[in-house]
Amino acid sequence: MSAWFNAHQQALARATARLRAQPLASLLSTFVIAIAIVLPLGLYVVFNNVVSATSRLNTDPNMNVFMKLAATDAEVKAVENKLRIMPNTASTAYVSRDVALAELKKRANVADLIAGLETNPLPHAFTLRLKSTEPATIAAMRAEIAALPTVETVTVDFEWARKLARFARFAERVVMLLGALLSAAVVFVVGNTIRLQMLTQKDEIIVARLIGATRRFVRRPFLYFGFLQGALAGLFALAMVVAGTAWVGGEIRALAESYGSFAVQGITADLAIAVVLGAGALGWIGAYASVGMYWRQVE
Amino acid sequence: MIVYSAATKRYPNGYEALKGVSLTIEKGQLVAVTGHSGAGKSTLLKLAAGIEFASTGSVFVNNQNVAQLKPAGIAVLRRNLGLVFQDHKLLFERNVFDNVALPLEIAGFTRTETGKRVRAALDKVGLLSREKAFPVALSGGEQQRLCIARAIVNRPAILIADEPTGNLDADYAATIMDLFKSFNQVGVTVLLSTHDQAGLARLDCRRVQLSQGSVEQGNADQGSAVA
Repeated sequence: MSAWFNAHQQALARATARLRAQPLASLLSTFVIAIAIVLPLGLYVVFNNVVSATSRLNTDPNMNVFMKLAATDAEVKAVENKLRIMPNTASTAYVSRDVALAELKKRANVADLIAGLETNPLPHAFTLRLKSTEPATIAAMRAEIAALPTVETVTVDFEWARKLARFARFAERVVMLLGALLSAAVVFVVGNTIRLQMLTQKDEIIVARLIGATRRFVRRPFLYFGFLQGALAGLFALAMVVAGTAWVGGEIRALAESYGSFAVQGITADLAIAVVLGAGALGWIGAYASVGMYWRQVE
Repeated sequence: MIVYSAATKRYPNGYEALKGVSLTIEKGQLVAVTGHSGAGKSTLLKLAAGIEFASTGSVFVNNQNVAQLKPAGIAVLRRNLGLVFQDHKLLFERNVFDNVALPLEIAGFTRTETGKRVRAALDKVGLLSREKAFPVALSGGEQQRLCIARAIVNRPAILIADEPTGNLDADYAATIMDLFKSFNQVGVTVLLSTHDQAGLARLDCRRVQLSQGSVEQGNADQGSAVA
């Protein structure tokens, strides 16, 4: 156990020594890796904020049914019963014409206008939440309701929400794809650094093997190097995204205040730890793959 | 103990470096393998260190068939041997101390224990005052002594040295041979190859003469060890 611990301690020490031995080269390659991490991480933060901002919008599929002004209470009740038993109806909410008028009056900019009216111009209405958002199903349902003699109009007003949801899914996939591609880039950059190190340390590897070093012993410092470089790049990337978020955050807050309360979501502690460890793991993978690939070339 | 049993080494180009060599080196012996260039001396030593493997026949080191060892087993075998190379195989980016410390790093020794052992080994070969120097600043004799220090730092039971005095002048060669003699006197089995007759004269040892890949003289199996 002690020998195992010593071996790892020495490998870590050698890896840090290699990082320090060529500070500029190490810094540059670490910076390149950090940029590869910043892109998906930055997009993720943007995406997260967009999702957060839109989550308060009602994106459930809704259908509004407006009755004719002349519809009687009995006719309204009959329509309500019919709407309730329709297969695509999730729930119904009745808004009487009096309630609708009262709500309208609350809006300051139309209060004077409403006060001038002799009669209530608003119809009774129903808001339906739907089970399916399939266009064909909705179209059939809409036609069926519109055909009722006491129904004036039927509106379906959630297409924009569906488009938004689709856009969010698309953006999520773009972030994931970019993340996967740039993760591969991290692996390649670290792998190439390790390949160059192996070539420059060829003599040391050969001598170490001749006097009893296992492949594991030779590989270990490279793995630590890859992990350290990846983790450092993760830290750099976090710093860049935090700085970027702080820079644009003030402007976004000012803009968002006119639409209601909205706080820019930065990077959480969990995410920061995941980024550093994830980047370290990518570096480790790159180092492992590189040592495996170039082993024969060195030996 | 090292046992060669009808060991033949044939290279891919068809050249036979060793031809059915049978040889037993007992524990605690000091054996000098002699012969002209190309006689198979280095190959004989490489077979014992698991650097090369016999094409036919077998080589046993401490009752282990070298050819049947897995890579990790070969690494363990080499850690238990002290290897001295004709071309030193020193690391020129490491200083004297760090060169000698390498086998201990591989074995997983603590920094404190490594320090003690490295200085003891350097003291034995007379390089204690040069521990911070880099190999490029050492003479040929000092480089070879450094190589020996690295070979003995792990306190091996068997020391294998390939032409340890090959590139040295007579005075340095004598010092190196005396070192091997002193290691043998404390129980270390020493197998070395050399064509340094003057150096050999200083060693009271068994000599095995190789010629064109075969043992010409000194094979224990023939009962003709030359002291």
